[in-house]
This record gives sequence, structure tokens and C-alpha cells, in this order.
Amino acid sequence: MESGGGNASDDIDAMFSDLLGEMDLLTQSLGVDTIPPESAKLNQDSEFKLSIGFMDVNESLNALEDTDLDALMADLMQDINATEQVCNAKALAASSQAFSDSEFWNSTKTPDFPEFYSEPPASPRRYTELQSLDLPPPPPDVTLPPPPPLEPPEPLTKEEQEARAKADKIKLALEKLKEAKVKKLVVKVLMNDSSSKTLMVDERQTVREILDNLFEKSHCDCSVDWCLYEKNPELQIERFLEDHENLVETLSHWTRDSENTLLFVERKEKYAVFTNPQNFYIAKNKAEGKDMKEKNKGALLEECFCGTSVIVPELEGALCVKEDGKKSWKRRYFLLRASGIYYVPKGKTKTSRDLVCFIQFENVNIYYGMNYKAKYKAPTDHCFILKHPQIQKDSQYVKYLCCDDPWALQQWVTGIRIGKYNKTLYDNYKVAVQKAGLASRWANLSNVEPTKSSISAAPQPNGHPGQLQQALNPVSSAFPQTCKQEEKRTYNADTNYPPPPAHLVCQEPMRGEVEELPPPPPPSFEPSPPPFLPPQMPAEHSRPKPGPPPPPTRHFPSATSAAPPPTLIKRKNSGASNEPKPSVRFVDLPAPPPDPEHFPEPPPDFLPPPPPCFNSNSGGPPPPPPPPPPPPSNPTINAVKRPLVPRRSDNTGITSNVRPGGGGSSDKPDLMSDLMKVLQKKRAALNE
Amino acid sequence: MALSGIDASWELKIAVEETGPEADPITLRVTGDIHIGGVILQLVDKMEIKKNWSDHGLWWDQKRCWVLKTNWTLDKYGIQADAKLVFVSQHKAIRLQLPNLKTVKVKACFSSPVFRSVIGICKILNLRHPEELSLLRPVEDPNQKKRRKEKDLEPEEVVDMESFATPRGIQSQGYFHPNGAHYMRDTPEGEAAYQILAISQPSVAPELIAKMYRPSSLIDKAQIHSRMSRHRGLVSHTELARFQNVTIRPLTTNLTVPLLSPLRQYDVVRINQLYEQSRWAVLLEEIECTEEEMMMFAALQYHINKCSLSGEAEEVHKSSEFDEVEAALSTLEVNLEGSNPNDVLDSITSIPELRDNLKLFRPKKLTLKAYKQYWFIFKEMTISCYKNQEVFGEPIQQMNLKGCEVAPDVNIAAQKFCIKLLIPAPEGMNEVILRCENEDQYAKWMAACRLAAKSKTMADSSYSSEVQNIRSFLRLQNANPSSQLASDTNAEDINTKSLVSFRYQKKYKIKQLTPRILEAYQNVAQLSLTETKMKFIQAWQSLPEFGLSYFVVRFKGQRKDEVLGIAPNRLIRIDLGVGDMVKMWRFNTMRQWNVNWDIRQVAIEFDENINIAFSCVTADCKIVHEYIGGYIFLSTRGKEHSETLNEELFHKLTGGHEAL
Repeated sequence: MESGGGNASDDIDAMFSDLLGEMDLLTQSLGVDTIPPESAKLNQDSEFKLSIGFMDVNESLNALEDTDLDALMADLMQDINATEQVCNAKALAASSQAFSDSEFWNSTKTPDFPEFYSEPPASPRRYTELQSLDLPPPPPDVTLPPPPPLEPPEPLTKEEQEARAKADKIKLALEKLKEAKVKKLVVKVLMNDSSSKTLMVDERQTVREILDNLFEKSHCDCSVDWCLYEKNPELQIERFLEDHENLVETLSHWTRDSENTLLFVERKEKYAVFTNPQNFYIAKNKAEGKDMKEKNKGALLEECFCGTSVIVPELEGALCVKEDGKKSWKRRYFLLRASGIYYVPKGKTKTSRDLVCFIQFENVNIYYGMNYKAKYKAPTDHCFILKHPQIQKDSQYVKYLCCDDPWALQQWVTGIRIGKYNKTLYDNYKVAVQKAGLASRWANLSNVEPTKSSISAAPQPNGHPGQLQQALNPVSSAFPQTCKQEEKRTYNADTNYPPPPAHLVCQEPMRGEVEELPPPPPPSFEPSPPPFLPPQMPAEHSRPKPGPPPPPTRHFPSATSAAPPPTLIKRKNSGASNEPKPSVRFVDLPAPPPDPEHFPEPPPDFLPPPPPCFNSNSGGPPPPPPPPPPPPSNPTINAVKRPLVPRRSDNTGITSNVRPGGGGSSDKPDLMSDLMKVLQKKRAALNE
Repeated sequence: MALSGIDASWELKIAVEETGPEADPITLRVTGDIHIGGVILQLVDKMEIKKNWSDHGLWWDQKRCWVLKTNWTLDKYGIQADAKLVFVSQHKAIRLQLPNLKTVKVKACFSSPVFRSVIGICKILNLRHPEELSLLRPVEDPNQKKRRKEKDLEPEEVVDMESFATPRGIQSQGYFHPNGAHYMRDTPEGEAAYQILAISQPSVAPELIAKMYRPSSLIDKAQIHSRMSRHRGLVSHTELARFQNVTIRPLTTNLTVPLLSPLRQYDVVRINQLYEQSRWAVLLEEIECTEEEMMMFAALQYHINKCSLSGEAEEVHKSSEFDEVEAALSTLEVNLEGSNPNDVLDSITSIPELRDNLKLFRPKKLTLKAYKQYWFIFKEMTISCYKNQEVFGEPIQQMNLKGCEVAPDVNIAAQKFCIKLLIPAPEGMNEVILRCENEDQYAKWMAACRLAAKSKTMADSSYSSEVQNIRSFLRLQNANPSSQLASDTNAEDINTKSLVSFRYQKKYKIKQLTPRILEAYQNVAQLSLTETKMKFIQAWQSLPEFGLSYFVVRFKGQRKDEVLGIAPNRLIRIDLGVGDMVKMWRFNTMRQWNVNWDIRQVAIEFDENINIAFSCVTADCKIVHEYIGGYIFLSTRGKEHSETLNEELFHKLTGGHEAL
């Protein structure tokens, strides 16, 4: 604990200097553009991971004017300290859960109706003020990466001064922000591996924009199959959010104590109807599903989606249904029409006039039901449900449907989506394709540097170099697979750099296996294995080697799973003493969310998000059996490292990787990750 | 007579339309090598009637064809002295029934193929995409005649558009007035005609709908197409009487309805006619739909009628745009002045509130609790209820209506005005019923609930119109027309039964129907007129049976009749007895199709060596051929919807042996 504390305080210093830097940035921007830059400002504050309340404009303004800034700061401190404790507790608790909660906090307050808010009983007012102030610290809003022990009064005072000096400008900014009335949330997104990313989402952002964001932050292939995936463990349901949906709206339906999670995964089903329209529009059963020429596919899509009205696939068949809160499943003959789902009542024909409406799509979303055989005694596990998005628990208003086979399930889910979203779905797809194309090109460009270095440096058996080169080739988004691989490779290369390749190898094979089998589904669970691995590492070493060559990991996220690497790094550090300060190392890792672009990311991501990982990490270090063999890649590591660092600074302007305190210009993500680091350290210390 | 033998000339008798059928034909002395042009010249000279004869041509009665090639000689045509030729105008007025069941008189060309005539008619009516339309002969079977007679008792209003010539400069893509208006609107008569064409007609009395012809079976539906005429020259003047009534009818297919708003202005007529066609297709059960769909169609119709009658017409579009700009400007202003916090405060507090005594009831199983009165405050999207008007502390209950479902439960006779709310919560839906005292209160609260359900507050500009809508709908429901509420606006005098097809007229009473339509109506009440029509058309196109034309056919080697459905993208083989689809072939797997004109059989070859052949029972196989060819032609139209029409290709695809 004590040792950890020492480090922590260092880190905190660093953090605060970061913070100050950010304040500077903010104020600068304020000074420059006072009128137009609403959006700019918004972005900025989003960088702080703050949420802004709108309704409280006047309140907070008044508050600012009336109250002494000092007092405000003091309050702030109190709040922070209080929340910090809570957060710590929470983080610990969370770490014991397999599911890290992706909670988010809606920080919007409406002072107008204080009565309605059963919220933080203590000084709600202060709360609002804090938020509106944009001060980075409102840890309450932040989810996991919460509040590092803010202790030292010194930085605060500094801050205070700064704050005072800039109070006017901030005020101005506040007004603007309030006018914009933009609600923001901090959201944790679980990646395909155990890691996660924390994002600031404002209420105007669509899922598409957030995906783009995530593309930037993770080096995935940007294929059209990536999606945000909502999971509700309570109902055992999940669904991918459509690209045009508004994330904040979806999240605001979650309950405060929700165990729901948000994942960033690849789902082929998302746009399967556009990649293989014949399976939905022509084939009547699985046997008929054949391939089709691209040209014909295009014509078919044109026909179905480009007319005045979208053609909903003709779909009918017997499904089992469980509704009205009953326990039994009833078999009925259902038909899909553009206006809703209908069924044929007993003894009637399936002519339109006899059909009975089962449900219309306006107010419901569609979800996959997982393992319903066990949960609800469904006839099969191929279930889907329809419910109002706000319903989060089992209720009579949820409609459960069960198909005979996965093929039928896919048909129905897709058909219903087409019925519900119509042309929007196709538009989404077109944008996604476009983005994927751009992104892959972009990624290639940005990868160039690192690739080279890694290539030269790593003539490993892994074949990384070759792969990397492949990565260089412009891969069109149209071929997600290639893209994916490419991405993976780059990723591996990246990960390589910090940790000994050997380790990577070990872990990768495993992960690769896991992921390849069930592509994206259980990403959140996957992470768990790695944590336990570390101790066993040695034993597995032999295994990994064969695996490494073609980075088996399918998904970039797996790369992210580099999670293990971090630990490795640590050990290494201590062992190799590349850099004297372990804390520094840590910093490197955590910094995840911030660096949109590259390598450093993986480690950080992994750290902050899933508590389980934390455990592993913290657990890892203590028993540190420094994974010895950084065989052929050792040289590589160093070489790679360098290139990496520059990159980072290029992109993010963050030097903080090396020196936590240095990066005055680092953006919010850094701050968060820094916080994370501190927390982690603390935890590690505790464990020790 | 000997003379004639010498110089090889002979007498040709030509009747002239203008002189009347009784008048003697004019006799010309001609030789076999004289050109048609020369004949006409002689004829005109001899008649000595000063007139512009340029539109006239010769019709050969026995052969039932036009003799129009002026450079051909009589010999080439094979015209001899016994030929009965008539000199008539090539353009004549026809009475054309439009999809909205209005009849107009327009000039059509009788001497060119139907397709050409249709193009001409479309130019006059200023409709784009003539290739999607064709002419349909009126129903002629005896049953129909009876009906027709009844109907004829009421004098039919015919809009005379005969005088409308195609304005000069009209291209095939239509003529656009410099200021974007329809060319007809330049003159008062034109304006009147335009109103008929572009504005949807008010609903017909339900009894009338019940009387109109409804196809009741697949076979009935198959009959329609036997009346389609496409290729033959329209008609000779002698047949004119028979064909005076012609319906113009879209092949209900890939109707390209432009979605871009700038184009819409030019397409007002087209969209309206499409809407009318779809509306009648639904009302007359030509296409089947479910109850829910019917309610939605009814609500859309109601909204369209209301908009059309209130004169909003197309101006709606403009004004709404204007409003938007206005609104944007004013918000911008606010933004710029935003430095004054009081402004913000004002804007927040200026959201209107509702405060009233209402009765609350939560239906739960096994409870018989009565309605309980509370003091309710509706603010933003939240309803709070208090024990009484002294609002102390926490409300007893609070409901956030965002995303909730709102349903009316109204019975005017019983003075029951309830609002049913299904408020989503994590645990499920909370059912709450609010009971209002009177109509007025109900309209206000209901409107507020609906807006809140869509995440809008009462500050939204649509609030007052929403309240109005609810009021007028309540009036509709008022079974007693003599009540003091008697509609001040006749717009509201709509019988909801006239919005649904005969089946639902029978199935429901007005009392049951109106609330259901009202429920569907709340989803569409905010649409503009054109948007609503588009929505109707789209919903119609989304019906599974949309675009299917039925023909009774007999497949080769089969002993019983079956039905062939031709859709824009596929052929469907349907069991005549059950009505189930037996097999489907898509056009884009079609390799070729042939018609054996001798045995009247259509043979089609698809990919993978699938061959089918059938003969047609209810219609000429030529019509089937035209349908297939027409759809294939439509699918070849440029993706960019280029406006130039490839007539040659069209004829090639649909003309059959006549095109050769």
C-alpha cells in the first residue's frame, strides 16, 4: 500500500499538471473563438469527460458569480474525496465480477425540478455546479476509470488559481454549452477482448459516429461488421445498435444499477442482408441459400431497397411464442408484413383479412434471446424478443419468440429490422461501406511507419513482417477478412513492441482460438482467461510459439487483449530495467483511451475497463515470474518501441507515456487513464 | 366509262367526316400510281372548304387501318375502287377516366399506337413516365351495364380539357413553367382542371363505395386485364362511340415517384393520381390488407382530405420551409444574445404547463378501485399528481411520458373522456388511465400526452394544431349531428366509414371505427399533404400483393386452369382453388421468352434450363406478353431515372409480331 501510495502521489502530480494543461487549452480556445465555437467547446469539454447540465445554466452561473471560487473548490474537493472512496470500493467490487459494469451517469440535472431528483442527496447543487464547471475532476460522472485518490491540496490550489483567472472565460463557455443543451454521458465500451474503452458521448451522436470514434481508437479493420452491441444479462438478451440510432437515448433506458454492457464487436449478421441479399429475398430455406454473382446481388438490392418503398422479405412460418407473462410456449403461424408481424388465428386462412396483428414495430426493438432453453424452457435456443427499449426486466409486455433453427432466426430478425428501419438500414450500410473503405486506406497510411520499423526489426518466425507488409497494401473494405487480418497484424506488431513477443505468442494462440470459434459473441467473457494465464505462462510457452506466425488472433480486439502484455511489461521493466520507474511503465499502459491511433492503446484499454483484468494485472505483478524468453524479437522490441512513441506524440501530442507529468497537452482520455493508473497501483499495492 | 379504261384512271370515293355520314362521298378520279398526298390534295381542292386539314388522314374502313404514308401510291397500299375511305381528323376527344374517378375530355391521337397516344395524353396532363400507364377499356359485361345505368342517372361531371393543346416546348420530361407552376394554371379554365387533377377528391359516401364494383376473387382480378389495350391503334372513328370511355391506368409497377422535394412540385398531379389509384385499390379491395393497415390507410386519407379541403394544398410545403427558416433565425438570435442569462431562464420557464383536476385510475388485476381525483400538473414531459391544489413537497406520483404509448378511450355519449397511458418502465409498462371532465380538457391533455410521447413539450409549435385535430376528431365521433357542436367547418363532415373498404364498413360501427382511426391518425397528423400522399403510396406498395396482375392460364400439359401472377420483378404460379403460391420465377433469371402466335402460347426460358409454357384463358396472350415486356422495359430504364424514353426498345419488347 505504501509503496503504491508513493507512486500514486507522483502520478497524481503528473495528472494535475495534465489537468492544468488542459485547462489552458480550453481557455485558449475560448479566447480565440468566442462566438462560433460552440461545437469546439463541446468537444473540449467532452475531452474532460464531463457531462454538462443544461437546465442549470442560470443556477450555475449565479453560483459562479455569487460564491467564492475558493468555496467552490473546497466543495469540489469534498465531493471528489467522497466519490473517490465510493469509486474505489466500487472498483474493487467490480473487479470481482465477471461483468464489469458499463455504467454511465447521466449528469444532467434539472434544477428546476429538484424535487424530482432522488439523486445525490448531498448538496445536489454543488453537484451541478461542478459539472457545469467542466472541471475535469467530477469523478462521479466517470465510470470505472474513476477518481484516483485526489489528495494533495497543492495541485488544487494551483488549479484554483488558474480557475479563478479563467473564471470569466469559463463562464462564457458554460453559457454556450448550456445553450447547446447537450447531454453527455461517459460510456464504457467493452472490446472484443477483456479490455474496454471509455468514451464521452454526447446526445447528438449517432452510433455511427461512435463507431468511427472507436475505429480511430482501436486499430480494427473498420469493416462494416463492427457494431455496438447491447447486452442485458437480466433478460439474457442482446442486440446490435443500428448505426443511425442515438446511443445516449439507448443508454438512458438503462437503469442506474443496470448490469447491461455495451460491446464493440463484429457481427456478420448486422449487414448480412446486404452482403448476401439472396439469402433473405430468394432462398426459402437454408438448402436454397446459394451464392450469387455480385452483379445480381446489386440488382437485387436495387430492386428491394431503392424503389419508392422498401421491399420487406416475404417471411412466414411457425414460431413458438410466449407472451402476456405466461410460462408456456405456444406454436403459431406467423407472417411478416411491412406493417408488422401477424399470425393466423386457429382455423383461419392466411389471407390478409383474417390475419391478426401480433405486434407493430414502432415502439419495440428486437433482441436476440440467449440460452432461453435454460432460462425460459424455450423449445430451442434460437429466440428473439420484441420489447419496448425501456423495459429492462421480464414482464408481460415482452414478446418472446422462438424459431426452429438459426437460419429462421436470422431471417426473422433481419426481416423485422428491414420492416422497422426500412431504407435507413440500407443507408447505414452504404455509409458503413464508405467508412470502411476510407478507414482501411487511412489505417494503412498511418500504419506505414510502424510497420516499417517493425518489419525491419522483427524478422521473426512469426511472419509478422510479411503480414505487416500485407497490411500496407490498400485493402478495400469490401473484403473484411483481409482487412481484419491486416489489422490484427498491425496490432500484433504493436503489442509486440512493449512486451516480449514470446508472451504475445502464448496468449495469442489461445485467444485466436477462442475468438475464431464463436467470432464475436462472448467478447466480454474472453478476457477472463488471460488474467489467469500469467502464472501458467511458462508452461504454455511452448505452445504459443507455433501459433504466433500468423497471428491467429482474428480480431484486433484480441490484440487489445494484449492485456496480458502489460503485466509482462511490468515484469520486464523491473527485470530489464529499461526504464527505471515502474510507475512510468504503468502510465504507458493505462493511457489507453486517449491515443486514438495506435499501439499504446491496447494495454491501457485493457487495464481500465474490466475489473477482472485488474485483478489479473495486479495479481500478475506480484508473482512476477518475469517471462523470460523474449527470443528473437528482443531486438525488435526496442526498435519498435521507439517508433511507437513518436507516433503517439504525433497523434495525440502526448508525451505522457513516458512521463506522466510531461503531457500538458494530453487530452481527457489521458487524464482518465492516469486516474486508472493510480487506482490500479493502489489496488496492486493492496494486493501485495 | 370507256375513257377510264384508256387512261387507266378510276374513281375513288372518299367520305369526309365534316360533311356528315349522310352526305355523299366525294368522288375523285385517280390512277394507281398516284401518291396518297396527291389524293388528299385533290380532295381538299374539290371540297372547297376553307379549313386547316393538316390533322386529317385517310382511314380505310374495310382493312381497319390508317392510310397515312403520303409518299406511298395507291397501288402500294393496294387501294382500289371498292375501298371505302374516310377522311377524318386523327385527333379526337376521348372521355378519359382518371384514377381519381373523375372524367376528363382530352384530345387523343387515334392514328398512332396506344403507347404514342398515351404519351400525348400524358403531355397534356403533364404526367411523367407515360411508359407506366396504359388505357383500359370500360367494363362491358352485362352486370356492369346495369350498374352503369344506375350510375348514369346522376349526371357525370366531365372536365373538358379538349381545348388544351400541348404547350409548345414541352419535352418528354414535362414542361416546367418558369416560376415552377403547372402550365395549366395560367388560365382560369386551366386552373379549374388543375384542381381536379392535383387535389385529392373528398371521400365518397360509404354506400357508394359499397355499390362500386369490387373484384371478389382471383378470377375477377384476372378479368381486368383482358380490357387492357396497348398496341392497337386506338380506334377508328366508327368505333369511337364504343371507346369513348377509357380509363387511364398505371401498370402498377416500378412507379418512380421522386422523393426529392424540388421535383415534387412538378409531380403534384402525378402523385395525386397515384394516390387516388392506390386509394381506390384499397377501398375497392382490389388489393387486400389487414385491419391495422386499413386503419392506417383510413387515417392517411382523413389527413389528406383535411389538408386538401382546408386549402393548405401545396402551399403547406412552402410555408413549413419558411417556418423552419424563421425558427432557425430566431433561435440564432437567441443564441447570439445568449449572454443574458435571463433569456435562457425565460425560455425554460416559458414552457406552458397544464394544471387540472383529473381522475386517475390504475387498472390492475383483481382490483376494483374507482377513479380517484388528484391535482395534476403537466410540465414538459412529466405529469405530477398531488393530493390537492396546494402543491406541497413531493408529488404523490410522477410520470415521465417520454416514449409512452397513448391511446384514447372516449365515449361522447357517455361523456367519458379517458386517456390511456402505457408508460414504459424497466419493469414493464405501467398502465394508467386519466379521466378528463370534458372535451376541452381532454383535447388539451391528450395533445400534451401525445407530444410528450414523442419527446416534445407543449412549447412545440405543433401543440395547438394537435389540440385542434383532437377536437375535430371528437366532433366526428359525435354520433348526433344535430348537436350544438354541428360542425362549423364542413371539412369535418367526414363519415369515417367512407375511409375504409366495404368489408370493414360491415364489420365495424362508426363508434368502433373512429377511435381506431384516431389512434392511427396520431402517427401521421404532423405530415404535410404531399408527404401523406407519399406515405399512402408507399404503404400501398408495401402490401405483399402489390403490383400483381393476374391471368388465368393453362400450363402446358396441365388439365386445369391456374393463375399466373405477373409482378414487376417476378412471375408467380398460383393455385386457382387455394390461392397459394406454387412457384415463383424471377425476371432477372429469365433468358428469353417467346410467343407462338399461332397456338397462342407463351414460352419462357429461365436460367438452369427451366422452361415453362402456358396459354392464356382470360386474356389474349399478347397482353401477357406486353406485361412481361413492359416490366422488363421498366427495369432497363436508367438508374438515374433519365427522362428520355427509349420508344424503340419499348416497342421491341412489347410489340410482339406487330412490332416487326
